[in-house]
Amino acid sequence: MLHRLFKKISGSRVSALFRKELNQIRRDRRLAMSLVLPPILQLTLFGFALSAKVENIQLGIVDESQSKESRDLIAVLTESRSFASAGYYFSVDQLDQEISRGSLIAGVVIPSDFARDLQRGRPTTVQFLLNATNANSAAISQGYAQAVIQNYNQRLQTEGIQPAFHRASGQLPQGRISLHPAFLYNPGLKDSWFITTGVLGLLLILNSSIVASGAMVKEREAGTIEQLLMSPAGTTEIIVAKIAPLFLLLTMMMFLAIIMIKTVFGVPFHGGLLPVIGGGALCVLAGIGIGTAVATFSKSAQQALLTGFFINPPLVSLSGALNPVEAMPNWLQPLTVINPIHHFGVIARGSMLKGSGLETLWPNFLALSIITLVLLSLSVWRFRKQLS
Amino acid sequence: MRRIIAQTRKELTQIVRDWRTMLLAIILPLILLMLLGSAISLSVTDMPIVVQDLDDSPSSRELIDAFRASLTLRVISWPTNKQPEEALSSSTARAALIIPAHFERNLKRGVDSPVQLIVDAADANTARLTAAYASQIIAAHSGTTNLVQQPVRAAIRLWYNPDRSSKKFYGPGIFVLALSIFPPLLAALAMAKEEDQKTILQVYVSNIAAAEFLFGKVLAFMVVALGEAAVMLVLLFTYFGLGFAGDPTPFVVATILYAFCVASFGTMIGATISNQAAAMQAVALGGFLFVFLLSGLLYPIENIPASIRWLSHLVWGRYYIEIVRDAFLQGGGWPAVWLKELIIGVIGTVFFFLAWLNKRRMQVRA
Repeated sequence: MLHRLFKKISGSRVSALFRKELNQIRRDRRLAMSLVLPPILQLTLFGFALSAKVENIQLGIVDESQSKESRDLIAVLTESRSFASAGYYFSVDQLDQEISRGSLIAGVVIPSDFARDLQRGRPTTVQFLLNATNANSAAISQGYAQAVIQNYNQRLQTEGIQPAFHRASGQLPQGRISLHPAFLYNPGLKDSWFITTGVLGLLLILNSSIVASGAMVKEREAGTIEQLLMSPAGTTEIIVAKIAPLFLLLTMMMFLAIIMIKTVFGVPFHGGLLPVIGGGALCVLAGIGIGTAVATFSKSAQQALLTGFFINPPLVSLSGALNPVEAMPNWLQPLTVINPIHHFGVIARGSMLKGSGLETLWPNFLALSIITLVLLSLSVWRFRKQLS
Repeated sequence: MRRIIAQTRKELTQIVRDWRTMLLAIILPLILLMLLGSAISLSVTDMPIVVQDLDDSPSSRELIDAFRASLTLRVISWPTNKQPEEALSSSTARAALIIPAHFERNLKRGVDSPVQLIVDAADANTARLTAAYASQIIAAHSGTTNLVQQPVRAAIRLWYNPDRSSKKFYGPGIFVLALSIFPPLLAALAMAKEEDQKTILQVYVSNIAAAEFLFGKVLAFMVVALGEAAVMLVLLFTYFGLGFAGDPTPFVVATILYAFCVASFGTMIGATISNQAAAMQAVALGGFLFVFLLSGLLYPIENIPASIRWLSHLVWGRYYIEIVRDAFLQGGGWPAVWLKELIIGVIGTVFFFLAWLNKRRMQVRA
């Protein structure tokens, strides 16, 4: 019974076409390369190269006070990993010049009456100059500077400077609020965990679409599509036989990428593999859908690639794969709802890093399935129209 | 000279006649700049944060008000009987602030009162930002309510981009990215096409020299690049609200040099790889991946591990990005950028030389 079923399947037209496609793909060395090379290259490059951590900020110092207290403050500043001393300057003008030339990122100016004010119990101000061209690192360094100064104030208190202030202000001492941040899900603050989980979706969609459009347009370029049409196979059979082997190969690429993410970057899989693989498979199908649709609009591989230039940049930039969606302008944020990469990113991060299950991720799975379905039916419809 | 100009004119006519390349040349850079320039930003505003007030005292409410007044954080109320972690795992909030019981009593007694901030660190950068914002809010709050003055205060001046606008930082970067992709792409396609369609044979039998032929092509795509630059500059000046911070001449010179550099790059690729699709992928790799990743466009170069950081010295876009950002934001002028301009020129010349090396014999390879 089982044997007969097997024979029926293996003898059917779909499986013959399926084998034909598989053979064709197997003989295409460039295709095999494009399944292995991009995941390795993109994951390593993106994972290692994209990091937004801010440390060892090159700090120029102008110490007009030249006292024990000011040297103390400089020590507190530079012994943290956030700032690194990049030399002393004699005047603020000199410091200005270095910052505008770009050799320094930050500068600190300690006024000449710094030590005197502290000893007399008068508050004093230290000026920080930050090159804020990079808005992100500026915001983070601002926080660092603030934290270092607070640290220094606490140190003063233990050294007995603070009481002088109480006497000066004539008030009862009051406690300070101290902030204790705890970083959940990624205590080591590894940027690569965020980047690689995002790049995975990027990789699946973009590579699937490129590979699929290449495979689909090839038949047309070579003129063999006429032969397919002459064969007894129906359009549905042709389409299924075309998509199935691609899907198989691309899921293999997905496993390769997942293994890399796990071993090279050490990203945890708190929610298990299943949600990631399920979402990934949907992404591959969506990518094939995009690729097939693109292929039906183009006459040659070159045109298909060119069309990709119109589709891919917005797909990538509006995905939240490399940067948080909340950071986008409000009028662009709603567009992420129709972006499969965005939904996969939410699923991958939620499942791998946070360990959330279907009960929180179901809206994204639903959206991803709908997008995939729409893309696939669009491409099948276009393909069929072309065949008839 | 006449032959060079004739070659350039032929090239430009070809571009104008094909609507797909026209779109690619003019409209796509604008769309890219518009979308990426404003969408790629790392600074989250309006970040949802949950506050759990276990003290429920005047002091704790004052602290919450300080958080509420912030533009970057948006406070969401959260019942005390629910775990704050739930808000993070369901992505309703990016962080949770927990004010412990006896918060006010501790403050009044002069003991330090710790408050805890649980941050969703799945996105490490946003987590760092959130922690930085929270510590700034608390520092400012202590400054206003605490009767005791802090002995040392930090006065932080943000230069060149005081409102920390990401658009002003990424706009020029995407401008460079677009210039690094489209002109070389068109140049590579045009060059590969000559080989593909065998029209190169007509060039071989004509009396034009290899250097003239290549320079004519490069000149044409320099014109395309400069046209794109002009169109995108309009967008930068209007939508992105940028302007020249200082002397614009370094920028003008650098743009011409960079146009030469990218046009030569494309021509070189087209001359070496005669398959149009393959040439396109090579340009996409060189132009997009390298300039996007290794030029400091999105994330600082210093964070790239040293083992691959040296590569960034070879990436032509890196130098141009620095010049452009200097021109729009810092205004350091010639003393800050002359070396970078020189390097761009040298890299461009090397590309041109390599293309010439490939085509200098002007004959069909057997």
